[in-house]
Amino acid sequence: MVAKPVPGGQVVLTSTDYIIDLSRKYSLWPLTFGLACCAIEMMVAYAGRFDFDRFGVIPRPSPRQADLLLIAGTVTKKMAEPIVQIYHQMPEPRFVMAMGSCANCGGPYYDSYAVVKGVDRIIPVDIYVPGCPPRPEALIYAVMELQKKIMRMKLERTYGATVQAEKGSRDLTGEPA
Amino acid sequence: MSAGADFLDRLLAAVPGSQADTPVKDYPTVRLSAPKDLLPAARLLKDELGFDYLEMVTAVDWLGPVNLGGFVSNPNPNPFTQKHPGPPVSPVAGPGVTYRPVLDLLWSFGDLVKNRKVFLRLEVPRDRAEAPSLTGLFPAADWQEREAFDLFGIRFAGHPNLIKILTPDFLQGHPLRKDYVHAKDRYDAE
Ligand code: SF4
Repeated sequence: MVAKPVPGGQVVLTSTDYIIDLSRKYSLWPLTFGLACCAIEMMVAYAGRFDFDRFGVIPRPSPRQADLLLIAGTVTKKMAEPIVQIYHQMPEPRFVMAMGSCANCGGPYYDSYAVVKGVDRIIPVDIYVPGCPPRPEALIYAVMELQKKIMRMKLERTYGATVQAEKGSRDLTGEPA
Repeated sequence: MSAGADFLDRLLAAVPGSQADTPVKDYPTVRLSAPKDLLPAARLLKDELGFDYLEMVTAVDWLGPVNLGGFVSNPNPNPFTQKHPGPPVSPVAGPGVTYRPVLDLLWSFGDLVKNRKVFLRLEVPRDRAEAPSLTGLFPAADWQEREAFDLFGIRFAGHPNLIKILTPDFLQGHPLRKDYVHAKDRYDAE
């Protein structure tokens, strides 16, 4: 890929961005990862009636092959370490969707001694889906919003992309955006 | 209860100091008088009376009313009803229910052939919560006793590996005890 601006380079890169974003957008592979009752609704979204395959959303069994970490359920403090580990095992660009009240803010278990009050306390989140549990339609809408976000991503930061636009999420390495 | 009367009589006769207690869910229930009675009773149930399935090991903490000074920061967090706080936390003690500083242990044994069930109960003081382990008789007791140890702090003498099973390593105390106070850990920090 062209690293420096060259005459006409920006046009070339923009088209490249468009094509890459388009392929990212329609092959959004989430990790097969359910934590609590929300996972049931996630499975329904994959199944025949709602058919997530239409959007290119096909569950993958390994974090190495996944683009999207769907936090479907309650994040307990004991599960927090493995979630961070899984997040770091995923190749960039990686996206995180917090599904349900539990993953957003702790939900019904806010006062529990065992629950992390929102998965955004441990990893950056791209899309929050409210509901307890959210309906599959809400999940599909969230994926469509994520696709819109992906279409704004840019390959090279030199052309005005923020860290968020380049990587899809906040930078965890501490580099200022 | 009539169908189970024969084995109940044998159990009561074989274990001195035991007495029939209020039935738990209409199943025959026997209250033991001392921890040392548990192993003979369980052995009798398993070897001679056909109760070869340990279904459950659990406990009840009978210390006074629930302590909201623990982790529950605001019992009524709804911002729209601040003027009308939720119902006050009132003691549930009533006729037949008295608060006392004990942990009431409960074992449930099942007979899958004859479809019977029997409960054993045993009260131990909260500050010296100890009971014999059933792992020698029922391998299924292993994880259940670890759970009771983790959540209630009951020490099962003779358990081969009595360590936490549910709560994370950094959690201090036993959360299902009524006087449990949550110490903020790294995931609670604002
Ligand atoms: S948000 Fe509701 S449905 Fe989803 S995991 Fe939490 S309690 Fe279950």
